[in-house]
Amino acid sequence: MSLLKMEGIVKAFNGVPVLKGVRLNVEKGEVHALLGENGAGKSTLMNVLTGVHARDAGTIEFDGKEYDSISIKQSEQMGIAFVHQELNLFNDLKVYENIFLGKEYKNRFGKLNKKKMISEAGRLFEELGVDIDPTELAANLKTSQKQLLEISKALFFNAKLLILDEPTTSLNTEEVKHLFGIVNDSKKKGTSFIFISHKMPEIFELADRYTVFRNGEYIGEGRINETNPEAVTKMMVGESYSSKDVYTKRDTGDVVLELDHFSGPGFEDVSLKVKKGQIIGLTGLQGAGSSELMQCMFGCTHPTGGTMKVEGNTLKRHRIHDVMRSKMAMLPSNRKENSVIQDMDLLENMYLAEHTLSSVKMHINKKKEEEKFNKYKELLNIKCQNSHNPILSLSGGNQQKVFIARWLNTEADILLFDNPTQGIDVGAKAEIYKLILELAEAGKTILINTLEIPEIQKVADYCAVFYNGSIIKVLEHDEIDETTVMLYSTNAVNTEEVIQ
Amino acid sequence: MRAQEKTGGLTLKKIGRFCGEYSFVLVFILIFLIYVFVSNGLTLAGVMNIFRHSTAVGIIALGMGLVCLTGEIDLSVGSMLALDAGFSVVVFNMTDSIALTLLFALGFGAVCGFINGILVGYIQMPAFIVTLATMLIYRSFAQYFCQRIDRELLGGGSSVYRMSMESSSYQPMYEFGNGRIATMPIVGMILILLTVLFVYITTSTKYGKKIYAVGSNAKGAQMTGINVSAIKVSVFTLAGVLVGVSSFLWIAMNASADPATTGNSYEMYAIAAVVLGGISMSGGKGKCIGILFGAMSYDCIDKIIVALKMDSLINDAIKGIILILVIMIQIVGPRIKARFAGRKK
Repeated sequence: MSLLKMEGIVKAFNGVPVLKGVRLNVEKGEVHALLGENGAGKSTLMNVLTGVHARDAGTIEFDGKEYDSISIKQSEQMGIAFVHQELNLFNDLKVYENIFLGKEYKNRFGKLNKKKMISEAGRLFEELGVDIDPTELAANLKTSQKQLLEISKALFFNAKLLILDEPTTSLNTEEVKHLFGIVNDSKKKGTSFIFISHKMPEIFELADRYTVFRNGEYIGEGRINETNPEAVTKMMVGESYSSKDVYTKRDTGDVVLELDHFSGPGFEDVSLKVKKGQIIGLTGLQGAGSSELMQCMFGCTHPTGGTMKVEGNTLKRHRIHDVMRSKMAMLPSNRKENSVIQDMDLLENMYLAEHTLSSVKMHINKKKEEEKFNKYKELLNIKCQNSHNPILSLSGGNQQKVFIARWLNTEADILLFDNPTQGIDVGAKAEIYKLILELAEAGKTILINTLEIPEIQKVADYCAVFYNGSIIKVLEHDEIDETTVMLYSTNAVNTEEVIQ
Repeated sequence: MRAQEKTGGLTLKKIGRFCGEYSFVLVFILIFLIYVFVSNGLTLAGVMNIFRHSTAVGIIALGMGLVCLTGEIDLSVGSMLALDAGFSVVVFNMTDSIALTLLFALGFGAVCGFINGILVGYIQMPAFIVTLATMLIYRSFAQYFCQRIDRELLGGGSSVYRMSMESSSYQPMYEFGNGRIATMPIVGMILILLTVLFVYITTSTKYGKKIYAVGSNAKGAQMTGINVSAIKVSVFTLAGVLVGVSSFLWIAMNASADPATTGNSYEMYAIAAVVLGGISMSGGKGKCIGILFGAMSYDCIDKIIVALKMDSLINDAIKGIILILVIMIQIVGPRIKARFAGRKK
């Protein structure tokens, strides 16, 4: 029997369609896996269902009743609970207060009946086999406990449908098992689940049926036991577009960057040798460790083990400025947070990094800096009126070019690009990748971390795929395609071995 | 005809932009004109007095400006002035040397500022709390030691640090503090010279730009290789050195320092001058030149009240009201502009 029926859902943001008429069918008492790459539209659909966004078109039927519009409150009353990836608990409140927030038991004079709330919370945890003290402060819980608390909370108020958005990202194997046990138990009692995950082994262990989205479109659905990870992955990525015309093989020099059993926060035991003039792609799912590795290499975080050698030398101190001295540069992800100095103009934004290396000469030679800026403006094709425009007056792509100029200006030899095309339109993306190839041609060594595999396909000589903090596979240029990378980054390869 | 209109529009726009960027000049001119109006028969020497009387706060405010540009605050400067000026008097009485007194004043100020800087920059405590604490500490030290130090070294004063008139350096020191060159007070010249120096530092040196970067986006600044903690320590230390300069000039002008009243509320006047000068308290925005005008504007208000023979106790109320008005215009102005721009469409 069907619990949720969404048909022809359309949603656009500022004229950009994100959902193009998708459908989703969830039966009573099943775990339904919602699959798709980053940006496929899964979260948007869930936000439509829970009333965060209003849909532009389409019908929603829940528990036999049709709903024209849904507010957040209404979705709660309908029995839909959304367990977010980033948990929505109040850290400064106690566990039971979190559960009963807004639905507190009160006596006639409005005084809270704490005893009743605590005992009911305790009974709930006992029933589910969760080991949490109801009077504990939420801040003191482990991430896995918080996850379980959110789910218990939803179950307590008799949710009919729970949406779990990547619930296992921060859990260890034991905790995942526990979580799955709870899901399976409540499934038997008739609760349904929408399970969003990128991890193939988990999907094939837990889910009953699946629906696949790609680029805001409905691709297909079916029963999990009638398919296999490879087929599902293919549905998710579609026909990969070809990498022709841009890429050319280059001559490479000696090894200039060497990581030996390098470990740090979020990644461990990474060994990698990079030759002069090479372009290496790093990829993996969010949190798989590739971005964390890059940040640690640049000195944003402290390494916990292993060594990093630049041109054969180990750094004495591993801080950003020391790393820059050894001729490395990094274009960080989250441009707005990590690159943009919003109160400064283009010229100032460009010269800052170089000035930390040449701070002995205090005076700024404005004419010389202006000349340098014009050189990069031409080289990188930065579209601006003059160097005194505010940085935020430029489009994302042009801003990013200014920051590339910032680092080229330091005359670094090794460039780390962390998600360089984030929030940039298609035209500027192509320009940036062409630029990366030209820089490599000119002898720069480049590492790119991105989740967009077609981009790696266009430029990278090698691609290191991360899973769970370590490199799971290094692919050569000819081997790089979306399906293969996806298979490794979701660890679907190993699942298949187990199944067969 | 049309071309003319266009150029007319452009110059109007330019004037508008100038008024927006240099509103502190307009505020000063307005207050100054009121002063000229209410004080019948203002002499040139009277005008020059504005420089003399805004020196102490003005120099302190320059340091405060740097601190505010990094997005921090220093509440301890007023107490620091009392302590530094008091101890400098003691050093003067001990050594009878102007040079050593100056050196001590600068060095001691630097140490006081450095303590603030380390706690804020490296230990990353909130600046408001740290400098609130040091404000209490410095003031308390100034008063405590005034009671404990040998009378001789206090210049015979009780509960006041007084420069000993018997010292051979007393006269030159006092002349330096109260002398004028072509009606311009010497101390006022120092204020202007220091303002020029700090305008240069903030607009044309790599160090100055780093201060702005840290205040604008600390995380982003860190990612360009700027040592954010070191920059913060340095601005607090510089603020301390400037308090040192101010202490030296203070004792040169007044020949004494009262630990209970010297520098009282100066942190507030300095912050007010900085804000009136157009520097954003959240950091990263503003011009050092504005501080000079901010400090002078406040001094004019003092003088207006004296000229009108009003109760001087109303002084702070008027300063407060003007601060609110100016900032309100700065904040509400763009909003009104935006609404009109929206309506045109």
